[in-house]
Amino acid sequence: MAKNHVFVGLYGSGKTELAINYAIKLKKDFEKVALIDVDIVSPYFRVRDFQHALEASGIVIVMPPQKIKNADLPVITQAVAGYLDNPQFKVVLDVGGDERGIVVLGYLKEHLFDTNVYLVVNTKRPFSQTVEQIVYVAKMLEERSGVRIDFLVNNTNLGSQTTCEIIYEGEKILQQASIILEKPIAFTVAADSIRYDGENELFRIERFVKTKEGLP
Amino acid sequence: MKKVMMKGVEAIGEAAIKAGCRNYFGYPITPQSELTEYMARRLPEVGGSFLQAESEVAAVNMLYGASSVGKRVMTSTSSPGFSLMQEGISYIACAQLPAVFVNVVRGGPGLGDIQPSQGDYFQATKGGGHGDYRLIVLSPSTVQEATELTLLAFDLADKYRNPVLIFADGLLGQMMEPVAFEEKEITYDNSHWALTGSKNRPPRQVTSFNIDPYGLEKMNIELQKKYRQVEANETRYEEFLIEDADILIVAHGTVGRIAKSVVRMAREEGLKIGLFRPITLYPYPYDALSKAAQEKSLVLTVEMSSGQMLEDVKLAVCGKTKIEFYGRMAGVVPTPEEIFTHLKTLIRGQ
Repeated sequence: MAKNHVFVGLYGSGKTELAINYAIKLKKDFEKVALIDVDIVSPYFRVRDFQHALEASGIVIVMPPQKIKNADLPVITQAVAGYLDNPQFKVVLDVGGDERGIVVLGYLKEHLFDTNVYLVVNTKRPFSQTVEQIVYVAKMLEERSGVRIDFLVNNTNLGSQTTCEIIYEGEKILQQASIILEKPIAFTVAADSIRYDGENELFRIERFVKTKEGLP
Repeated sequence: MKKVMMKGVEAIGEAAIKAGCRNYFGYPITPQSELTEYMARRLPEVGGSFLQAESEVAAVNMLYGASSVGKRVMTSTSSPGFSLMQEGISYIACAQLPAVFVNVVRGGPGLGDIQPSQGDYFQATKGGGHGDYRLIVLSPSTVQEATELTLLAFDLADKYRNPVLIFADGLLGQMMEPVAFEEKEITYDNSHWALTGSKNRPPRQVTSFNIDPYGLEKMNIELQKKYRQVEANETRYEEFLIEDADILIVAHGTVGRIAKSVVRMAREEGLKIGLFRPITLYPYPYDALSKAAQEKSLVLTVEMSSGQMLEDVKLAVCGKTKIEFYGRMAGVVPTPEEIFTHLKTLIRGQ
Protein backbone atom coordinates (compact mmCIF):
# COMPACT_ATOMS: atom_id res chain seq x y z
CA MET A 1 0.00 0.00 0.00
CA ALA A 2 1.54 3.27 -1.15
CA LYS A 3 1.72 6.14 1.31
CA ASN A 4 0.25 8.85 -0.94
CA HIS A 5 -2.68 8.51 -3.34
CA VAL A 6 -3.19 11.22 -5.93
CA PHE A 7 -6.35 11.54 -8.06
CA VAL A 8 -6.10 13.51 -11.30
CA GLY A 9 -8.29 13.88 -14.37
CA LEU A 10 -10.51 16.18 -16.35
CA TYR A 11 -13.15 18.41 -14.79
CA GLY A 12 -16.07 16.44 -13.47
CA SER A 13 -14.45 13.02 -13.90
CA GLY A 14 -15.29 12.25 -10.28
CA LYS A 15 -11.97 12.89 -8.55
CA THR A 16 -13.46 14.52 -5.48
CA GLU A 17 -16.07 11.82 -4.95
CA LEU A 18 -13.39 9.18 -5.30
CA ALA A 19 -10.86 10.97 -3.08
CA ILE A 20 -13.41 11.26 -0.28
CA ASN A 21 -14.38 7.61 -0.51
CA TYR A 22 -10.75 6.52 -0.76
CA ALA A 23 -9.86 8.44 2.38
CA ILE A 24 -12.78 6.80 4.21
CA LYS A 25 -11.57 3.38 3.06
CA LEU A 26 -8.00 4.10 4.23
CA LYS A 27 -9.31 5.30 7.58
CA LYS A 28 -10.70 1.82 8.23
CA ASP A 29 -7.19 0.33 8.09
CA PHE A 30 -4.94 3.19 9.16
CA GLU A 31 -5.13 5.52 12.11
CA LYS A 32 -3.75 8.64 10.49
CA VAL A 33 -5.31 9.66 7.21
CA ALA A 34 -5.23 13.10 5.63
CA LEU A 35 -7.40 14.23 2.74
CA ILE A 36 -5.88 17.18 0.94
CA ASP A 37 -7.91 19.58 -1.18
CA VAL A 38 -5.62 21.21 -3.72
CA ASP A 39 -8.43 21.91 -6.18
CA ILE A 40 -7.61 25.40 -7.42
CA VAL A 41 -10.20 25.44 -10.21
CA SER A 42 -13.62 24.23 -8.99
CA PRO A 43 -15.89 26.86 -7.45
CA TYR A 44 -18.37 24.34 -5.94
CA PHE A 45 -18.54 20.64 -5.00
CA ARG A 46 -15.06 20.44 -3.45
CA VAL A 47 -13.69 18.42 -0.53
CA ARG A 48 -13.82 21.58 1.60
CA ASP A 49 -17.61 21.67 1.15
CA PHE A 50 -17.85 18.39 3.11
CA GLN A 51 -15.26 19.34 5.71
CA HIS A 52 -17.38 18.86 8.84
CA ALA A 53 -18.86 15.48 7.91
CA LEU A 54 -15.40 14.16 7.07
CA GLU A 55 -13.64 15.56 10.12
CA ALA A 56 -16.24 13.83 12.29
CA SER A 57 -14.96 10.53 10.91
CA GLY A 58 -11.45 11.35 12.13
CA ILE A 59 -9.92 12.19 8.76
CA VAL A 60 -7.64 15.22 8.75
CA ILE A 61 -8.85 17.69 6.11
CA VAL A 62 -6.19 19.95 4.66
CA MET A 63 -7.66 22.92 2.82
CA PRO A 64 -7.21 26.67 2.38
CA PRO A 65 -7.73 28.77 5.55
CA GLN A 66 -11.40 29.06 6.58
CA LYS A 67 -11.77 32.75 5.86
CA ILE A 68 -10.69 32.40 2.23
CA LYS A 69 -12.06 28.93 1.52
CA ASN A 70 -14.70 30.38 -0.83
CA ALA A 71 -12.36 32.86 -2.48
CA ASP A 72 -11.72 32.50 -6.16
CA LEU A 73 -7.98 32.15 -5.46
CA PRO A 74 -5.47 29.36 -6.20
CA VAL A 75 -4.35 28.76 -2.62
CA ILE A 76 -2.07 25.87 -1.56
CA THR A 77 -1.31 25.85 2.15
CA GLN A 78 2.15 25.12 3.51
CA ALA A 79 0.79 22.10 5.36
CA VAL A 80 0.25 20.13 2.14
CA ALA A 81 3.94 19.34 1.65
CA GLY A 82 4.22 18.42 5.33
CA TYR A 83 1.53 15.75 5.16
CA LEU A 84 2.93 14.35 1.91
CA ASP A 85 6.34 13.99 3.61
CA ASN A 86 5.10 12.76 7.00
CA PRO A 87 5.60 8.94 7.08
CA GLN A 88 2.90 8.55 9.78
CA PHE A 89 0.13 9.67 7.45
CA LYS A 90 -1.60 7.99 4.58
CA VAL A 91 -2.53 10.85 2.29
CA VAL A 92 -5.19 11.28 -0.39
CA LEU A 93 -4.71 14.25 -2.71
CA ASP A 94 -7.68 15.69 -4.64
CA VAL A 95 -6.25 17.66 -7.54
CA GLY A 96 -8.26 20.18 -9.60
CA GLY A 97 -9.42 19.32 -13.09
CA ASP A 98 -7.74 19.73 -16.45
CA GLU A 99 -4.34 21.09 -17.30
CA ARG A 100 -4.92 24.15 -15.11
CA GLY A 101 -5.72 22.12 -12.02
CA ILE A 102 -2.80 19.74 -12.38
CA VAL A 103 -0.08 22.40 -12.41
CA VAL A 104 -0.25 22.08 -8.62
CA LEU A 105 1.39 18.65 -8.89
CA GLY A 106 4.44 20.09 -10.60
CA TYR A 107 4.91 22.31 -7.58
CA LEU A 108 4.53 19.37 -5.15
CA LYS A 109 6.59 16.94 -7.24
CA GLU A 110 9.54 16.64 -4.86
CA HIS A 111 7.15 15.51 -2.09
CA LEU A 112 5.58 12.71 -4.12
CA PHE A 113 7.70 9.71 -3.11
CA ASP A 114 5.94 6.38 -2.44
CA THR A 115 2.95 7.70 -4.35
CA ASN A 116 0.32 6.25 -6.66
CA VAL A 117 -1.12 8.63 -9.22
CA TYR A 118 -4.53 7.63 -10.61
CA LEU A 119 -6.14 9.05 -13.73
CA VAL A 120 -9.89 9.07 -13.12
CA VAL A 121 -11.94 8.60 -16.30
CA ASN A 122 -15.67 8.82 -16.91
CA THR A 123 -16.26 7.92 -20.55
CA LYS A 124 -19.67 9.60 -20.39
CA ARG A 125 -18.01 12.98 -19.96
CA PRO A 126 -16.98 15.35 -22.77
CA PHE A 127 -13.40 14.98 -24.08
CA SER A 128 -12.89 11.48 -22.62
CA GLN A 129 -15.36 9.39 -24.60
CA THR A 130 -12.95 7.63 -26.97
CA VAL A 131 -9.65 5.77 -26.64
CA GLU A 132 -7.87 8.56 -28.54
CA GLN A 133 -9.25 11.24 -26.24
CA ILE A 134 -8.25 9.35 -23.09
CA VAL A 135 -4.73 8.74 -24.38
CA TYR A 136 -4.46 12.43 -25.24
CA VAL A 137 -5.67 13.47 -21.78
CA ALA A 138 -3.22 11.15 -20.00
CA LYS A 139 -0.25 12.42 -21.99
CA MET A 140 -1.31 16.05 -21.71
CA LEU A 141 -1.72 15.84 -17.93
CA GLU A 142 1.66 14.12 -17.52
CA GLU A 143 3.30 16.76 -19.66
CA ARG A 144 1.76 19.68 -17.77
CA SER A 145 2.54 18.31 -14.31
CA GLY A 146 5.82 16.53 -14.97
CA VAL A 147 4.38 13.67 -12.90
CA ARG A 148 3.87 10.12 -14.16
CA ILE A 149 0.38 8.61 -14.01
CA ASP A 150 0.60 5.06 -12.60
CA PHE A 151 -2.98 3.76 -12.95
CA LEU A 152 -6.24 4.34 -14.74
CA VAL A 153 -9.54 4.26 -12.86
CA ASN A 154 -12.83 3.47 -14.57
CA ASN A 155 -15.37 5.86 -13.10
CA THR A 156 -17.82 5.71 -15.99
CA ASN A 157 -21.25 6.82 -14.81
CA LEU A 158 -24.37 8.83 -15.57
CA GLY A 159 -25.04 9.77 -11.98
CA SER A 160 -28.29 8.32 -10.70
CA GLN A 161 -28.99 6.88 -14.18
CA THR A 162 -25.93 4.61 -14.16
CA THR A 163 -26.43 0.96 -15.11
CA CYS A 164 -23.94 -1.92 -15.12
CA GLU A 165 -23.99 -1.83 -18.96
CA ILE A 166 -22.77 1.77 -18.86
CA ILE A 167 -19.94 0.77 -16.52
CA TYR A 168 -18.89 -2.13 -18.82
CA GLU A 169 -19.01 0.15 -21.83
CA GLY A 170 -16.51 2.45 -20.13
CA GLU A 171 -14.39 -0.49 -19.08
CA LYS A 172 -13.98 -1.66 -22.68
CA ILE A 173 -12.85 1.77 -23.84
CA LEU A 174 -10.47 2.08 -20.90
CA GLN A 175 -8.97 -1.36 -21.50
CA GLN A 176 -7.83 -0.27 -24.95
CA ALA A 177 -6.43 2.98 -23.59
CA SER A 178 -4.66 0.97 -20.90
CA ILE A 179 -2.83 -1.12 -23.53
CA ILE A 180 -1.73 1.92 -25.52
CA LEU A 181 -0.64 3.88 -22.43
CA GLU A 182 0.91 0.82 -20.75
CA LYS A 183 -0.82 1.71 -17.51
CA PRO A 184 -2.97 -0.84 -15.68
CA ILE A 185 -6.55 -0.18 -14.57
CA ALA A 186 -6.45 -0.02 -10.78
CA PHE A 187 -10.17 -0.52 -10.27
CA THR A 188 -13.68 0.19 -11.46
CA VAL A 189 -15.95 2.43 -9.42
CA ALA A 190 -19.59 1.66 -8.75
CA ALA A 191 -21.85 3.73 -6.54
CA ASP A 192 -24.34 2.50 -3.99
CA SER A 193 -25.93 -0.77 -5.06
CA ILE A 194 -25.26 -0.87 -8.81
CA ARG A 195 -24.49 -4.44 -9.87
CA TYR A 196 -20.95 -5.11 -11.12
CA ASP A 197 -19.34 -8.44 -11.98
CA GLY A 198 -16.77 -7.25 -14.52
CA GLU A 199 -13.09 -8.07 -14.78
CA ASN A 200 -11.60 -5.30 -12.67
CA GLU A 201 -11.31 -4.93 -8.96
CA LEU A 202 -14.42 -3.14 -7.70
CA PHE A 203 -14.32 -0.03 -5.55
CA ARG A 204 -17.74 0.71 -4.18
CA ILE A 205 -18.44 4.31 -3.25
CA GLU A 206 -21.10 6.23 -1.43
CA ARG A 207 -22.19 9.45 -3.12
CA PHE A 208 -21.17 12.55 -1.19
CA VAL A 209 -21.06 15.14 -3.92
CA LYS A 210 -24.54 14.42 -5.21
CA THR A 211 -26.43 17.66 -5.08
CA LYS A 212 -26.94 18.37 -1.43
CA GLU A 213 -29.89 20.69 -2.03
CA GLY A 214 -32.37 17.83 -2.32
CA LEU A 215 -33.11 18.45 -5.99
CA PRO A 216 -35.47 15.97 -7.62
CA MET B 1 -30.70 9.17 -27.59
CA LYS B 2 -27.18 8.81 -26.27
CA LYS B 3 -26.72 10.38 -22.88
CA VAL B 4 -23.65 12.17 -21.59
CA MET B 5 -22.80 13.57 -18.18
CA MET B 6 -22.44 17.33 -18.36
CA LYS B 7 -22.22 20.40 -16.22
CA GLY B 8 -24.95 22.94 -16.92
CA VAL B 9 -22.54 25.36 -18.54
CA GLU B 10 -20.96 22.68 -20.74
CA ALA B 11 -24.40 21.52 -21.86
CA ILE B 12 -25.37 25.09 -22.79
CA GLY B 13 -22.16 25.34 -24.82
CA GLU B 14 -22.81 22.08 -26.67
CA ALA B 15 -26.43 23.08 -27.31
CA ALA B 16 -25.23 26.36 -28.82
CA ILE B 17 -22.98 24.41 -31.19
CA LYS B 18 -25.89 22.12 -32.07
CA ALA B 19 -27.93 25.28 -32.77
CA GLY B 20 -25.38 26.32 -35.38
CA CYS B 21 -23.53 28.89 -33.30
CA ARG B 22 -19.96 29.12 -34.61
CA ASN B 23 -18.99 32.44 -33.08
CA TYR B 24 -18.36 32.88 -29.39
CA PHE B 25 -16.72 35.86 -27.75
CA GLY B 26 -16.28 36.02 -24.02
CA TYR B 27 -14.23 36.72 -20.97
CA PRO B 28 -13.87 34.17 -18.14
CA ILE B 29 -15.56 34.72 -14.78
CA THR B 30 -16.55 32.26 -12.04
CA PRO B 31 -18.92 30.34 -11.89
CA GLN B 32 -19.20 30.04 -15.68
CA SER B 33 -15.60 29.91 -16.92
CA GLU B 34 -16.09 26.27 -17.97
CA LEU B 35 -18.49 27.50 -20.66
CA THR B 36 -15.85 29.80 -22.08
CA GLU B 37 -13.32 26.96 -21.87
CA TYR B 38 -15.74 24.50 -23.46
CA MET B 39 -16.26 26.80 -26.43
CA ALA B 40 -12.50 27.39 -26.70
CA ARG B 41 -12.04 23.64 -27.02
CA ARG B 42 -15.06 22.73 -29.13
CA LEU B 43 -15.41 25.58 -31.64
CA PRO B 44 -12.11 24.88 -33.46
CA GLU B 45 -13.27 21.23 -33.82
CA VAL B 46 -16.37 22.35 -35.75
CA GLY B 47 -14.73 25.11 -37.78
CA GLY B 48 -15.98 27.95 -35.59
CA SER B 49 -14.33 31.00 -34.09
CA PHE B 50 -13.60 31.39 -30.40
CA LEU B 51 -12.16 34.60 -29.20
CA GLN B 52 -11.28 35.53 -25.65
CA ALA B 53 -12.01 39.23 -25.55
CA GLU B 54 -10.00 41.66 -23.46
CA SER B 55 -13.12 42.42 -21.40
CA GLU B 56 -16.88 41.91 -21.31
CA VAL B 57 -17.30 45.33 -22.94
CA ALA B 58 -15.19 44.14 -25.87
CA ALA B 59 -17.00 40.79 -26.02
CA VAL B 60 -20.47 42.30 -26.34
CA ASN B 61 -19.31 44.59 -29.13
CA MET B 62 -17.77 41.63 -30.97
CA LEU B 63 -21.21 40.00 -30.78
CA TYR B 64 -22.74 43.18 -32.18
CA GLY B 65 -20.41 43.04 -35.18
CA ALA B 66 -20.65 39.31 -35.87
CA SER B 67 -24.42 39.34 -35.50
CA SER B 68 -24.84 42.17 -38.02
CA VAL B 69 -23.57 39.88 -40.77
CA GLY B 70 -26.27 37.34 -39.88
CA LYS B 71 -24.25 34.78 -37.89
CA ARG B 72 -25.51 33.00 -34.80
CA VAL B 73 -23.47 34.42 -31.93
CA MET B 74 -23.20 33.82 -28.20
CA THR B 75 -21.40 35.02 -25.12
CA SER B 76 -21.58 33.95 -21.49
CA THR B 77 -20.66 35.62 -18.25
CA SER B 78 -21.62 35.96 -14.60
CA SER B 79 -23.22 38.87 -12.78
CA PRO B 80 -20.52 41.58 -12.65
CA GLY B 81 -19.55 40.71 -16.21
CA PHE B 82 -23.16 40.97 -17.34
CA SER B 83 -23.34 44.45 -15.82
CA LEU B 84 -20.39 45.46 -17.98
CA MET B 85 -22.20 44.23 -21.11
CA GLN B 86 -25.35 46.33 -20.64
CA GLU B 87 -24.45 49.21 -22.94
CA GLY B 88 -23.75 46.83 -25.81
CA ILE B 89 -26.94 44.85 -25.18
CA SER B 90 -28.98 48.04 -25.47
CA TYR B 91 -27.24 48.79 -28.80
CA ILE B 92 -27.91 45.26 -30.09
CA ALA B 93 -31.56 45.46 -29.07
CA CYS B 94 -32.04 48.83 -30.78
CA ALA B 95 -30.25 47.63 -33.92
CA GLN B 96 -32.64 44.63 -33.91
CA LEU B 97 -29.95 41.98 -34.01
CA PRO B 98 -30.18 38.40 -32.77
CA ALA B 99 -27.66 37.39 -30.09
CA VAL B 100 -27.69 34.89 -27.24
CA PHE B 101 -26.38 35.80 -23.79
CA VAL B 102 -25.87 33.50 -20.80
CA ASN B 103 -25.71 34.96 -17.30
CA VAL B 104 -24.77 32.36 -14.68
CA VAL B 105 -25.86 34.49 -11.76
CA ARG B 106 -23.76 34.70 -8.59
CA GLY B 107 -24.18 36.43 -5.25
CA GLY B 108 -24.18 40.22 -5.28
CA PRO B 109 -24.40 43.15 -5.28
CA GLY B 110 -20.91 44.43 -6.01
CA LEU B 111 -18.10 41.94 -6.32
CA GLY B 112 -20.31 39.72 -4.12
CA ASP B 113 -19.26 36.06 -4.05
CA ILE B 114 -19.18 33.10 -6.43
CA GLN B 115 -22.16 31.18 -5.01
CA PRO B 116 -25.54 30.73 -6.78
CA SER B 117 -28.08 33.57 -6.81
CA GLN B 118 -31.08 34.98 -8.70
CA GLY B 119 -30.38 38.55 -7.69
CA ASP B 120 -30.01 39.78 -11.29
CA TYR B 121 -33.73 39.33 -12.03
CA PHE B 122 -34.50 43.06 -12.25
CA GLN B 123 -31.48 43.63 -14.47
CA ALA B 124 -32.50 40.78 -16.76
CA THR B 125 -36.22 41.46 -17.06
CA LYS B 126 -36.63 45.21 -16.59
CA GLY B 127 -33.74 46.34 -18.76
CA GLY B 128 -30.24 46.55 -17.28
CA GLY B 129 -29.12 48.90 -20.02
CA HIS B 130 -30.53 52.24 -21.15
CA GLY B 131 -33.61 52.98 -23.19
CA ASP B 132 -36.91 51.31 -24.05
CA TYR B 133 -35.82 47.79 -24.92
CA ARG B 134 -36.53 44.24 -23.77
CA LEU B 135 -34.55 41.03 -23.54
CA ILE B 136 -36.30 37.70 -23.96
CA VAL B 137 -35.30 35.87 -20.76
CA LEU B 138 -35.37 32.07 -20.30
CA SER B 139 -34.90 30.40 -16.90
CA PRO B 140 -34.03 26.68 -16.98
CA SER B 141 -34.33 24.47 -13.91
CA THR B 142 -32.42 21.36 -15.04
CA VAL B 143 -29.35 20.74 -17.19
CA GLN B 144 -31.55 19.02 -19.79
CA GLU B 145 -33.92 21.95 -19.89
CA ALA B 146 -30.95 24.31 -20.23
CA THR B 147 -29.95 22.55 -23.47
CA GLU B 148 -33.49 22.78 -24.85
CA LEU B 149 -33.86 26.44 -23.92
CA THR B 150 -30.48 27.23 -25.51
CA LEU B 151 -31.74 25.82 -28.82
CA LEU B 152 -34.95 27.81 -28.36
CA ALA B 153 -32.94 30.95 -27.52
CA PHE B 154 -31.25 30.94 -30.92
CA ASP B 155 -34.57 30.42 -32.71
CA LEU B 156 -36.29 33.21 -30.77
CA ALA B 157 -33.33 35.53 -31.30
CA ASP B 158 -33.56 35.05 -35.07
CA LYS B 159 -37.36 35.10 -35.18
CA TYR B 160 -37.65 38.43 -33.38
CA ARG B 161 -34.19 39.79 -34.22
CA ASN B 162 -33.71 40.47 -30.53
CA PRO B 163 -31.15 39.50 -27.88
CA VAL B 164 -32.16 36.50 -25.75
CA LEU B 165 -30.79 35.78 -22.28
CA ILE B 166 -30.41 32.38 -20.62
CA PHE B 167 -30.78 33.24 -16.94
CA ALA B 168 -29.09 30.44 -14.98
CA ASP B 169 -27.79 30.48 -11.45
CA GLY B 170 -24.41 29.18 -10.36
CA LEU B 171 -25.84 25.90 -9.10
CA LEU B 172 -27.43 25.02 -12.43
CA GLY B 173 -24.24 26.07 -14.18
CA GLN B 174 -22.01 23.87 -12.05
CA MET B 175 -24.14 20.79 -11.36
CA MET B 176 -23.62 17.70 -13.48
CA GLU B 177 -26.52 15.68 -14.86
CA PRO B 178 -27.10 13.23 -17.69
CA VAL B 179 -28.26 15.00 -20.85
CA ALA B 180 -29.28 13.95 -24.33
CA PHE B 181 -29.17 16.14 -27.42
CA GLU B 182 -31.75 15.86 -30.10
CA GLU B 183 -29.95 15.15 -33.38
CA LYS B 184 -31.53 17.38 -35.95
CA GLU B 185 -30.29 19.46 -38.80
CA ILE B 186 -30.34 23.13 -37.85
CA THR B 187 -30.76 25.62 -40.64
CA TYR B 188 -31.26 29.32 -40.32
CA ASP B 189 -31.35 32.09 -42.86
CA ASN B 190 -30.75 35.73 -41.99
CA SER B 191 -29.82 36.73 -45.52
CA HIS B 192 -32.87 38.98 -45.91
CA TRP B 193 -31.50 41.57 -43.50
CA ALA B 194 -27.84 40.72 -42.82
CA LEU B 195 -24.97 42.89 -44.02
CA THR B 196 -23.53 40.67 -46.71
CA GLY B 197 -22.17 43.20 -49.20
CA SER B 198 -24.45 45.36 -51.33
CA LYS B 199 -23.41 44.17 -54.77
CA ASN B 200 -26.53 43.99 -56.99
CA ARG B 201 -28.82 45.24 -54.23
CA PRO B 202 -29.45 48.48 -52.35
CA PRO B 203 -27.24 48.94 -49.27
CA ARG B 204 -28.68 47.97 -45.87
CA GLN B 205 -28.09 49.69 -42.59
CA VAL B 206 -27.81 48.20 -39.11
CA THR B 207 -27.74 50.96 -36.54
CA SER B 208 -28.91 51.96 -33.09
CA PHE B 209 -28.69 55.64 -33.92
CA ASN B 210 -31.04 58.26 -35.31
CA ILE B 211 -30.35 61.91 -34.65
CA ASP B 212 -33.93 62.91 -35.54
CA PRO B 213 -36.23 62.35 -32.54
CA TYR B 214 -39.22 61.58 -34.79
CA GLY B 215 -37.12 59.04 -36.67
CA LEU B 216 -35.88 57.51 -33.43
CA GLU B 217 -39.40 57.42 -32.06
CA LYS B 218 -40.43 55.46 -35.16
CA MET B 219 -37.67 52.93 -34.40
CA ASN B 220 -38.96 52.73 -30.84
CA ILE B 221 -42.55 52.17 -31.96
CA GLU B 222 -41.35 49.32 -34.16
CA LEU B 223 -39.54 47.76 -31.17
CA GLN B 224 -42.63 48.08 -28.99
CA LYS B 225 -44.79 46.41 -31.65
CA LYS B 226 -42.34 43.53 -31.64
CA TYR B 227 -42.42 43.24 -27.85
CA ARG B 228 -46.23 43.05 -27.87
CA GLN B 229 -45.92 40.12 -30.29
CA VAL B 230 -43.35 38.45 -28.05
CA GLU B 231 -45.70 38.92 -25.07
CA ALA B 232 -48.63 37.45 -27.00
CA ASN B 233 -46.79 34.42 -28.37
CA GLU B 234 -43.85 33.38 -26.25
CA THR B 235 -44.81 32.96 -22.59
CA ARG B 236 -43.74 29.62 -21.19
CA TYR B 237 -44.28 28.07 -17.75
CA GLU B 238 -44.70 24.77 -15.96
CA GLU B 239 -47.58 23.87 -13.66
CA PHE B 240 -47.08 21.05 -11.17
CA LEU B 241 -50.01 19.63 -9.17
CA ILE B 242 -51.90 22.93 -9.12
CA GLU B 243 -55.37 21.64 -9.99
CA ASP B 244 -56.44 20.60 -6.47
CA ALA B 245 -53.94 22.75 -4.58
CA ASP B 246 -54.94 25.14 -1.77
CA ILE B 247 -51.58 26.87 -1.80
CA LEU B 248 -49.43 27.81 -4.77
CA ILE B 249 -45.65 28.16 -4.69
CA VAL B 250 -44.17 30.37 -7.42
CA ALA B 251 -40.48 29.88 -8.12
CA HIS B 252 -38.22 29.82 -11.17
CA GLY B 253 -34.94 28.15 -12.18
CA THR B 254 -33.13 26.08 -9.58
CA VAL B 255 -35.50 27.33 -6.89
CA GLY B 256 -38.40 26.06 -9.00
CA ARG B 257 -36.81 22.67 -8.80
CA ILE B 258 -36.22 22.87 -5.07
CA ALA B 259 -39.87 23.96 -4.69
CA LYS B 260 -40.91 20.80 -6.52
CA SER B 261 -39.30 18.82 -3.69
CA VAL B 262 -41.28 20.95 -1.23
CA VAL B 263 -44.52 20.14 -3.07
CA ARG B 264 -43.72 16.41 -2.85
CA MET B 265 -42.88 16.66 0.86
CA ALA B 266 -46.11 18.55 1.51
CA ARG B 267 -48.22 16.07 -0.45
CA GLU B 268 -46.75 13.22 1.60
CA GLU B 269 -48.11 14.99 4.68
CA GLY B 270 -51.48 15.46 3.01
CA LEU B 271 -51.03 19.19 2.36
CA LYS B 272 -52.33 20.29 -1.03
CA ILE B 273 -49.54 22.42 -2.44
CA GLY B 274 -48.86 23.11 -6.12
CA LEU B 275 -46.06 24.79 -8.07
CA PHE B 276 -46.16 27.44 -10.79
CA ARG B 277 -42.76 27.78 -12.45
CA PRO B 278 -42.26 30.61 -14.96
CA ILE B 279 -39.85 29.53 -17.72
CA THR B 280 -39.91 32.83 -19.60
CA LEU B 281 -39.14 35.67 -17.17
CA TYR B 282 -39.78 38.10 -20.01
CA PRO B 283 -42.39 37.75 -21.34
CA TYR B 284 -43.68 36.94 -17.85
CA PRO B 285 -46.66 34.54 -17.83
CA TYR B 286 -48.97 37.03 -16.07
CA ASP B 287 -52.23 35.61 -17.43
CA ALA B 288 -51.41 32.00 -16.68
CA LEU B 289 -50.29 32.83 -13.16
CA SER B 290 -53.35 34.98 -12.59
CA LYS B 291 -55.49 31.99 -13.54
CA ALA B 292 -53.44 29.51 -11.51
CA ALA B 293 -53.68 31.69 -8.38
CA GLN B 294 -57.46 31.93 -8.56
CA GLU B 295 -59.25 30.49 -5.52
CA LYS B 296 -56.03 29.56 -3.76
CA SER B 297 -55.76 30.58 -0.13
CA LEU B 298 -52.13 31.62 -0.44
CA VAL B 299 -49.39 32.25 -2.98
CA LEU B 300 -45.83 31.78 -1.68
CA THR B 301 -43.07 33.22 -3.84
CA VAL B 302 -39.62 31.73 -3.23
CA GLU B 303 -36.45 33.21 -4.69
CA MET B 304 -32.71 33.42 -4.25
CA SER B 305 -33.10 37.20 -4.06
CA SER B 306 -34.75 39.80 -1.85
CA GLY B 307 -38.03 39.39 -3.75
CA GLN B 308 -37.50 40.70 -7.25
CA MET B 309 -39.82 38.33 -9.14
CA LEU B 310 -42.28 38.96 -6.30
CA GLU B 311 -43.21 42.26 -8.02
CA ASP B 312 -44.31 40.36 -11.15
CA VAL B 313 -46.22 37.85 -9.04
CA LYS B 314 -48.07 40.77 -7.43
CA LEU B 315 -48.90 42.20 -10.86
CA ALA B 316 -50.25 38.83 -11.97
CA VAL B 317 -52.27 38.06 -8.85
CA CYS B 318 -53.52 41.65 -8.66
CA GLY B 319 -54.58 41.55 -5.01
CA LYS B 320 -56.98 38.63 -5.48
CA THR B 321 -55.01 36.16 -3.37
CA LYS B 322 -52.77 36.71 -0.35
CA ILE B 323 -49.06 36.64 -1.27
CA GLU B 324 -46.16 35.74 1.01
CA PHE B 325 -42.45 35.67 0.25
CA TYR B 326 -39.48 33.55 1.30
CA GLY B 327 -36.00 34.31 0.01
CA ARG B 328 -32.30 33.78 0.64
CA MET B 329 -29.71 36.15 -0.74
CA ALA B 330 -26.02 36.49 -1.50
CA GLY B 331 -25.38 32.94 -2.64
CA VAL B 332 -27.29 31.03 0.04
CA VAL B 333 -29.41 28.25 -1.49
CA PRO B 334 -32.63 27.51 0.42
CA THR B 335 -33.21 23.84 1.28
CA PRO B 336 -36.57 22.13 0.69
CA GLU B 337 -36.79 21.57 4.47
CA GLU B 338 -36.45 25.24 5.37
CA ILE B 339 -39.01 26.30 2.75
CA PHE B 340 -41.42 23.63 3.98
CA THR B 341 -40.94 24.71 7.60
CA HIS B 342 -41.66 28.31 6.61
CA LEU B 343 -44.73 27.21 4.69
CA LYS B 344 -46.07 25.27 7.68
CA THR B 345 -45.62 28.37 9.87
CA LEU B 346 -47.69 30.34 7.36
CA ILE B 347 -50.38 27.66 7.30
CA ARG B 348 -50.61 27.67 11.12
CA GLY B 349 -51.03 31.47 11.01
CA GLN B 350 -53.93 31.26 8.57
